[in-house]
Amino acid sequence: MKMTSILEINRLSKSFGGLVALKDISFNIAKGEIIGLIGPNGAGKTTLFNCVAGIEKPTRGQIIFANGDHNISIGGKKPESVTALGIARTFQNIRLFDNLTVIDNVKIGRHCRTRSNFFGAVFHNRFEREEERAITESANQYLEFVGLKGRGDEIASSMPYGNQRRLEIARALATEPQLLMLDEPAAGMNPHESRDLMDLIHRIRDKGITVLLIEHDMKVVMGVCERVVVINHGEWLTEGKPQEVQNDPKVIEAYLGTGAGNAALNTGAVNAA
Amino acid sequence: MGKLRLNDLSGGAKLRIGLLILVLILPLLPFVNDYLLHIIILVYLYMILALGLNIVPGFNGLLDLGYVGFYGIGAYTSGLLTVHFGLSYWVIIPLAFINGAIWGILLGAPTLRLTGDYFAIVTFGFSELVVLFLTNEIWLTRGPLGLPGIDVISIDLTLFGGPKYEFMGELPYYYLAIAMVLVTVFVMYRIQSSRLGRAWFAIRDDEVAAVSCGINLLTYKVIAFAISAAFGAVGGSFFARWVTFLSPDMFKFWESFLILCMIVLGGMGNIWGVMIGAAVLVSLSEVLRELLPLLGLPVEVRFLFFGLIMVLMMRYRPAGLRPIPAVAAQMRAGRVKRKKVKAATGI
Repeated sequence: MKMTSILEINRLSKSFGGLVALKDISFNIAKGEIIGLIGPNGAGKTTLFNCVAGIEKPTRGQIIFANGDHNISIGGKKPESVTALGIARTFQNIRLFDNLTVIDNVKIGRHCRTRSNFFGAVFHNRFEREEERAITESANQYLEFVGLKGRGDEIASSMPYGNQRRLEIARALATEPQLLMLDEPAAGMNPHESRDLMDLIHRIRDKGITVLLIEHDMKVVMGVCERVVVINHGEWLTEGKPQEVQNDPKVIEAYLGTGAGNAALNTGAVNAA
Repeated sequence: MGKLRLNDLSGGAKLRIGLLILVLILPLLPFVNDYLLHIIILVYLYMILALGLNIVPGFNGLLDLGYVGFYGIGAYTSGLLTVHFGLSYWVIIPLAFINGAIWGILLGAPTLRLTGDYFAIVTFGFSELVVLFLTNEIWLTRGPLGLPGIDVISIDLTLFGGPKYEFMGELPYYYLAIAMVLVTVFVMYRIQSSRLGRAWFAIRDDEVAAVSCGINLLTYKVIAFAISAAFGAVGGSFFARWVTFLSPDMFKFWESFLILCMIVLGGMGNIWGVMIGAAVLVSLSEVLRELLPLLGLPVEVRFLFFGLIMVLMMRYRPAGLRPIPAVAAQMRAGRVKRKKVKAATGI
């Protein structure tokens, strides 16, 4: 594993009974980069996320996470341990704690970095009081960071869609991840909101957090990703800079079907001529 | 959960203080007799039980049909320790609490991996097992003969050269029950706004999101189950020393159902709601006990009324009399379908 990698996925396979969702996928994520994972619907992107996050157990292959100087194999670890190691995620269909306030959602993100329990809760000892104060303070900072300052007392499910997406990112950031995985963060956003989102993703990276992004909105992918990995039918297809990948006939074919790749190439040739 | 406190504005604080004063001077009022006090103590006892049970379905969204098992364990712990060892009630309270928690862990640790209905069935089975144990292990519990002659609670100051004061009549029990309800409510409020409470609410709202925040589901569910069981056992310990007689048929399944009804009626997860639910159902039960024979109906018909209440509640106020604020807000906005409220309240 190279010094600069934060996550190495090595011949990862996952099948559900007879259905092969992922087949021998390998790629690396470098520390501090913003990397996109794209592919047509059903390509296995979310399954890959779930394998990394510990929600699904890989059938074969390795997932190696560089935690400080240690390389840890996280394939098959429990999701709560993966979060504790420093990998956080958001969900394709927003999964907030709907009945709780915005600030409580973020406070729950602090769970894995805090310790108080029953006796602290009942007796409010000094440790608990200080920890609770720190939790509130940092939760407010994360809310401010994603642009939800002053909305802490609203009920999470009552906020507009775009804000719910931001809140989910704030909650994920509150777990202090080194690697943040965003599953279609721009889905359902208007152009203005996705521009804000791209800005937010850049600011997250500037904090030193590596970002892995599943996204269908090509404007967002082209706007933020430094590198893109394409998968199709559960298999690695290609990877490279966004512009290269965008013009790759194999990729176009995967999205538009057989023949489309050649057609696009021909059009390109005509234009060039 | 700071939001819940928004319900009680400063007017609410006045109301609470007023209520407390009323409750404290109630026994001094002219029309209050021992019978009425007995019923009110029963209300307080069920408040403690309902608040304890509320942790599991209300805070964690798990259906628990075996709560009465822990109530029974606490009652017999208290009764047997009193009869055989003459322990003071003040020593028995923590012992019952711990014993309840131990049984909560023993039952919860292997079974809380089960989801939804399967878990409910296991808890139901557990409470039936407790009744069978109490009925058949005659060497320990005297079985169906019951356990009579449990001492009343006393405050023994003879060690310090003071007098020994025995609880005679209903009045001292009345004040002790108030104190126990206040402590329970205090603990529940503290938990509700703590890291532990937030972890539970997270589990209730979305388990997948909760694990992604680093919450270990099994650990936190077992903690919830243990604390819930501990409060059930403390309620039982009071019951044993109050009625001074125990028999296994006091801990039949329908008690679990009744306590669950109180929570559903009041509003799952809402501390005030749960207490209101306890007050309403205990009072109703006593009124019906008086009323039904006059109508020529057997007393057991009152369970039909409870069932009817549940049906009506599910039809018209599925989130209870006092729902948790988020659900209430959604219902006001008319954005929530009945199904969604059911999902939110966990039943």
